[in-house]
Amino acid sequence: VSTREAGGLYVHVPFCRRVCPYCDFAVRTARPEQVERYVHAVVREAALWADWSEPLDTIYIGGGTPSRLAPEQLGRLLAALRASLPVDPEAWITLEANPEDVDREQVAAWRALGVRTLSLGVQSFDEEQLRFLVRLHSPQQARRAVELALEASFDVVSIDLIYGLPGQSDAALSRDLARAVELGPQHLSCYQLTVHEDTTFGRWRATGRLSEAGEDRQADMFLQVHRTLQGAGYPAYEVSNFARAPRFESRHNKKYWAHVPYLGLGPSAHSLRVHERWWNLRDVRAWQARVDAGSRGVDSSERLGAAELALEAVMLGLRTVAGIDLEAFRARHGIDLVSRNARLVARLAEEGRCRLEGGRLRLTQDGLAIADRVAGELELRESGP
Amino acid sequence: MKNVRNFCIIAHVDHGKSTLADRLIQACGGVSAREFHDQLLDSMELERERGITIKSNSITLEYRAADGETYQLNLIDTPGHVDFSHEVRRSLMACDGAILVVDASQGVEAQTVANAYLAIEHDLEILPVVNKIDLPAADVERVREEIVADLGLDGESAIAVSARQGTNIDAVLRGIVERLPPPTGDPDAPLRALIFDAYYDPYRGVILNVRVREGRLRKGDTIRFMHAGTEHEVDEVGIQRLGREPRAELVAGGVGYVMTGIKSIKEVAVGDTVTQADQPASEPIPGYKAARPVVFSSLYPMTTDEVPELTRALEKLSLNDAALVYQKDSSTALGFGFRCGFLGLLHLDVVQERLKRESDVSLILSAPSVLYKVTLHDGTTRDVDNPALWPDPGTIREVQEPYIRAAILVPEKYMGSVMTLCRDYRAVDLSMSYLAVGRVEVVSIMPLGEVLFDFHDKLKSLTRGYGSYDWDELDYRPADIAKVDILVNKERVDALAFLCHASKARPRALHYCEQLAEAIPRHQFKIPVQGAIGADIIARSTINAFRKDVTAKCYGGDITRKRKLLEKQKKGKERMKLVGSVEIPQEAFVAVLRTDQDT
Repeated sequence: VSTREAGGLYVHVPFCRRVCPYCDFAVRTARPEQVERYVHAVVREAALWADWSEPLDTIYIGGGTPSRLAPEQLGRLLAALRASLPVDPEAWITLEANPEDVDREQVAAWRALGVRTLSLGVQSFDEEQLRFLVRLHSPQQARRAVELALEASFDVVSIDLIYGLPGQSDAALSRDLARAVELGPQHLSCYQLTVHEDTTFGRWRATGRLSEAGEDRQADMFLQVHRTLQGAGYPAYEVSNFARAPRFESRHNKKYWAHVPYLGLGPSAHSLRVHERWWNLRDVRAWQARVDAGSRGVDSSERLGAAELALEAVMLGLRTVAGIDLEAFRARHGIDLVSRNARLVARLAEEGRCRLEGGRLRLTQDGLAIADRVAGELELRESGP
Repeated sequence: MKNVRNFCIIAHVDHGKSTLADRLIQACGGVSAREFHDQLLDSMELERERGITIKSNSITLEYRAADGETYQLNLIDTPGHVDFSHEVRRSLMACDGAILVVDASQGVEAQTVANAYLAIEHDLEILPVVNKIDLPAADVERVREEIVADLGLDGESAIAVSARQGTNIDAVLRGIVERLPPPTGDPDAPLRALIFDAYYDPYRGVILNVRVREGRLRKGDTIRFMHAGTEHEVDEVGIQRLGREPRAELVAGGVGYVMTGIKSIKEVAVGDTVTQADQPASEPIPGYKAARPVVFSSLYPMTTDEVPELTRALEKLSLNDAALVYQKDSSTALGFGFRCGFLGLLHLDVVQERLKRESDVSLILSAPSVLYKVTLHDGTTRDVDNPALWPDPGTIREVQEPYIRAAILVPEKYMGSVMTLCRDYRAVDLSMSYLAVGRVEVVSIMPLGEVLFDFHDKLKSLTRGYGSYDWDELDYRPADIAKVDILVNKERVDALAFLCHASKARPRALHYCEQLAEAIPRHQFKIPVQGAIGADIIARSTINAFRKDVTAKCYGGDITRKRKLLEKQKKGKERMKLVGSVEIPQEAFVAVLRTDQDT
């Protein structure tokens, strides 16, 4: 596990005005005084991690809806993080915001707090789709939010989109993508809708009220997104992430995909250090009670053995367009990935699913669409059946 | 001898035979409350679960009648299912009378009729009992009428009981003593004893259950099995109570056990006659019929390292299942396994269930087959029960397949659809008769091979569970049989091949292909699944290649969860059979056998 690269700091803000029907994150609605209590708790939790020694050069404030925090609260929070933890003065700060929270004043305040990437939870520019997703903003608000953010000259403005809603046509998807591209953000995250069991959509699916697109339709949409954005100057650098240039790629998220250490604060946040991963209590109140009592909000942890690390490295590496550096993989995990899987790799290459170039194994667009499957198929043991 | 009664209880499945047996045993003080087991005679867990009795067994009860006399009641249990009718026969041969149990709500059903006729055929006196009179749907009078109309028995004197609630059990005991005859037979004639059951005891070896017809049987005797021709020393004789109780001798008319130290159940043919080696009887007891397997299937473990475990499990199972025959077999696709012979589909099912229960082996079964008689152009004839051994069609002059006489009992309103079903299953001779108002018996002469294709389930669903059937082997008749190969990704999977009538080959092959295509997960490449006769492709289905399998979000919190899913997926792969470059899960083999087709 690399320790040369500086780590990342994640803060989970668990509040939303309304819980979206597809969301399976740890979120809830809350009154202002609960939000204030939460801020106190994060400040306290950061202090409880004062012995964390890995340098941190990214801060990602995600959720939930971090734009629910007042700039003053955000400022206090950032100051506390810097005071308690080895945060680089130049640390790259990303903030997630919902379009309905964005106005001229807010963006100026965020900019003043040093936020460099503003990630906007637009989801769609289509009125009907927004209604289906039960979002609180209109297409106009979404456009306005992006424009304001771009005017405020953040280093990166990113738009989150969801695609693959039931019944979404190729044309509708095209329109959504075109509207995002038109606005000219530096970064796009396009997530195919995933229906999780314990969500409103999950319950709808169970009762037949919502049906997911079939595998072939999903694949078609996935490829449409990748091809369209590639053509529009936003090549993918990961399964769901697209950037106009490498410098706009998410520094923080790339740490997750490379086993770089990260510390997570707030309910449900995950952390990784060397061979250990742990995660905080998912429930806001439980987490808060724990922290208020003077303990870290950790729920549970796991130790990553050689097999787990190798599997994760493959699973995460294959999701990136850069792919897996085979020599580095061999040095770190002791496995010659390609010769161990010569037949599979040859077949994938023949089908145009992967490429071997520059000492890297990388998946093509068709390959990325089945990245999990490929990760599952690759043999990572010394000698297998 | 006049105070002995040898009887059995016969019934359609689920009519309450075992419950009544338990009540009789209880009433005779055979069991203390602690010892009482729900279904005492069904000693195997599986049999209890399935509500059927597979192994015969017997128990001796002491009944003190109102007249002050003590009677020895030998209750001989019989298997209750159609697949085991030969076992029913030999149990009946040990009896002088039978209690016929009929469910007060269901009435006379197919196996009630079949069993009653068997009992009559064996000259048994029949004591009808109407059971489950406590049920709300009970209609005792209607059932009495059915007993008269369908069976020609005295329904009016049938004893109405609820075995579950223990109602009227004493009337049954009185009926046994008063209405069933005592045994006959000369105690001083040369010994003739019928082996009606045998089971393996890990400490004592094979234990025989016998009914002594004539003569006497004592410890130390040298006995001879008249059909097998083998001789054995008798170590012990006795009667079966809750445990075994040794006795000095078993005398004509009696029922009991014999220990000889025989180590393998295969050395004992149930139905054989025991006589004294030094003073043998001149003729064995008539009616001996060897149990012959009629349905064949190959069993393979999912992984080759499970072969030893499967071997052990089969050996263990066959210790107590003389009807199960097996030999080593090997498949190109599935590796080593066993070719097994069964008495019928239910027997196959029971064996499979028991193997599953008693070992951790995940089993794959090949399509069941009957035994075909194949005559080649060179005049030689061979028996073939395995598609793998099917001769080159060019060398075949004629094939004959086994026919059965199936007796199907259904409510009248289903008669038309049942006749159609039989015709679909290539019945060549259909007749029907009214048994009672609203009930008909359809007799169908049809190939046994057809019945293997889900006939039973079809019949059950067609008749909403009211139809039932029993069958007997009849004869062999010429047939146009084809071997259908199944090709997965253009490779023949030998274990999936099946034999069937040429006219059925196409629809059945298509069904197989579709089932397989459903059950085999997508791969990274498109997989054709084809059915073929020789080089002719007669059916085809396709498994599309994977196109989409990737999580949309994979950040801090998603990584562990996703990794665990992949670990599970990798584990699952180990439980797949690699055929060529296609991974076939065990479920796929099972799915193919679930022939819920429309043909």
